[in-house]
Amino acid sequence: MPRFLKILVRNLLKGPATDPFPFQEAFTPDRLRGRVVLNPDLCLGCGICRHVCPGEAIRLEPDEGRTGYSFSIWHNTCALCGSCRHFCPTGAITLNADWHGAHPQTDKYRHAEHHFVPYLRCAGCGAPLRPLPPGIAARLYAHSPLDMTQVVKLCPDCRLTATAKREGERYGTTANPG
Amino acid sequence: MGLFSSITVRSPWLYRINAGSCNGCDVELATTAFIPRFDVERLGCKYCGSPRHADIVFITGPLTLRVRDKVLRVWQEIPEPKITMAIGICPISGGVFRGGHSIEGPLDRYIPVDVNVPGCPPRPQAIMEGVLLAKQLWLARLEEGEAGKNKAAHAAIS
Ligand code: SF4
Ligand code: SF4
Ligand code: SF4
Repeated sequence: MPRFLKILVRNLLKGPATDPFPFQEAFTPDRLRGRVVLNPDLCLGCGICRHVCPGEAIRLEPDEGRTGYSFSIWHNTCALCGSCRHFCPTGAITLNADWHGAHPQTDKYRHAEHHFVPYLRCAGCGAPLRPLPPGIAARLYAHSPLDMTQVVKLCPDCRLTATAKREGERYGTTANPG
Repeated sequence: MGLFSSITVRSPWLYRINAGSCNGCDVELATTAFIPRFDVERLGCKYCGSPRHADIVFITGPLTLRVRDKVLRVWQEIPEPKITMAIGICPISGGVFRGGHSIEGPLDRYIPVDVNVPGCPPRPQAIMEGVLLAKQLWLARLEEGEAGKNKAAHAAIS
């Protein structure tokens, strides 16, 4: 059979090469980097993602009354590089496959994601405290004999005091010798 | 002309300007989004080689100082009504080049943008979605223009 006939038959069997999109849903690989999303329940507010972001797409700042911090991602300057996901210690920030980003100019500054992560209050003194998600606390204190569920509710200063008291008790002195 | 344009489907012609792009978005535009696999001509669009024939213009790149005036000159040669599309995060916000010493963008400092397609670069299907959006806007603008002309004509008669 001449070669061109073979090619003809093969192409007839294969059907058109054109993707049916936009008349049908487009094929999207699961791991396509389409849009950055944050899970505020896991975020520590450490700012590593902002630090590594080449497009300066992430803004992270405490509010005026210091009741929490706002976390914004502006998709219109995000290069979808995945650095934030790579460096985030808790897996709070990640990318999904939603690539439908085209929008009219009026939505330019609305094509963003905003979250507010409230601070906890220190159980000792009431100072604002960055949240530490339980999963991360369990990982951090996995090898500690102490009951860390109480310790993570304290601010660094109160934690120091608590440690001093505990150690004092252990060595038979009082925390307040004065 | 009125009857003819009311029974025909309008087909926008596409034109592309590189405003200092890294070429990523241009590759997506010219060699990925509009090859037979995606076939933009199914949507009634067609690439053209001259700004004077264009209806929808794609601009890629962060608008560098070096190309700024040339981009503006070419953009002004495109007849109204035209739809300007910013392709990639570069023209929209400056993207990874934002704040650079030779960056004059974002594009909307100089040119009224109509449609943004973010991504670095956006995937071909996202660009096609943008083209559909742009085509809608363009048709609406054409109708507005026609309606405006008719109104002017009526006003002239009465
Ligand atoms: S998203 Fe991750 S890297 Fe960014 S501030 Fe939250 S915990 Fe830190
Ligand atoms: S994917 Fe890259 S550019 Fe986008 S927010 Fe994350 S670090 Fe920034
Ligand atoms: S948006 Fe990204 S891919 Fe497109 S021109 Fe800018 S840097 Fe290159």
